[in-house]
Amino acid sequence: MILNAILVYIGEALVAIGVFCDLAASIGIIRFPNFYTRLHAATVGTIGGAVLPLVGVALMALGADWLGNYRFFLAGASIVAGILILLLAPVGSHVLAQAAHRAGLAPREPIAFDHLEEDRRRGGKE
Amino acid sequence: MRASELFVLVSIIVFIFSLAYITSLGGLGQLPPVNVRLLAQRYLELTWNPLKPFMSSSGYESVTAIVWDFRGLDTFFETAVFYGAIIAAIAIYRGVKISGKGRTTGMSPIARTITRLSTILIPTVAASIALHGHLTPGGGFQAGSVATVIVVLIIMVFGRKALIRKGMTKARILLFRSLGLLGIGFTAVAILLAGTALGLNAYVFQNQPKPFAPLGFPKLYDGMILGGSLLLFNLFEFIAVTAGFTLVLLLLSLGEEEVRGVVEK
Repeated sequence: MILNAILVYIGEALVAIGVFCDLAASIGIIRFPNFYTRLHAATVGTIGGAVLPLVGVALMALGADWLGNYRFFLAGASIVAGILILLLAPVGSHVLAQAAHRAGLAPREPIAFDHLEEDRRRGGKE
Repeated sequence: MRASELFVLVSIIVFIFSLAYITSLGGLGQLPPVNVRLLAQRYLELTWNPLKPFMSSSGYESVTAIVWDFRGLDTFFETAVFYGAIIAAIAIYRGVKISGKGRTTGMSPIARTITRLSTILIPTVAASIALHGHLTPGGGFQAGSVATVIVVLIIMVFGRKALIRKGMTKARILLFRSLGLLGIGFTAVAILLAGTALGLNAYVFQNQPKPFAPLGFPKLYDGMILGGSLLLFNLFEFIAVTAGFTLVLLLLSLGEEEVRGVVEK
């Protein structure tokens, strides 16, 4: 019983962190100066704001006894969806950033350093 | 505040208030009459009802039961329209050679590795949506749409030629699509054929036994809910939709120079 309650509390905490991440990401998307930094904010929204709450939902479902066997379906589906987003979302932003960098479509300023540009000048593989 | 921001703000407020005004005027029409709502009640009551075996369907999922059992003929014609569109696309591209020869560069190693992982993950999720369609929300069309995501990813990340080199040729995809469609058609008339062979009364699109039509698809197997024809329809629709979308994506990914020679003839 206590274990179930702990699972639910941890799950709720993860969902709360997810809400914070989503809020931070939406502020970042509006306030950040250029495309690449806004992409970073978007990734905060997908990993912090989608994967973490999904894990939280899985824990909450596992802690909810009254769902019977269905709690395993719920938890399994949430975890699988979380893993899929965790794998696919960073690749999406990676590909977007690379395409924008190669095509020169987005202004890079303000910039601290640009490893991709250095690699390309040296003729290395991207 | 700039004038453009003010304009956005005012237009949102006007939109909300005009929507509320139109709704209050009765612009959405009258509420559905009581007998229509009774129909919905009947669907919910009969989707899974062991007390009324002659009237109920064979799965837990009301939407799948309505789509493939209660109103199966509707869905059959919808599927026919969908495949009519795909056949039209194939007809436009007739004679175009789709070859897998030539080099493809593809995207960065990060993107390629994750796409390779997804070629297992995404079809698994799609199959679970299709095979669970009679128990949980989902079904054949939805699963096919999910499975098509991996085709899009492969075409984007590895290139269309890589897809063909892996064996997804036009002829093979057409074969899968035809298998799926034949399966749907066969499932629709299977009980009728069996009934005719055995000299019993039976109906088109029959799933469970009806009065004076004793044949039907199995409802349960070893305590597990099979869903009767719902499972078969979902499975074949999954195959057909995946193949149909894959074919259209393959054709759409062709470059202009490959098609031009055929179009100009």
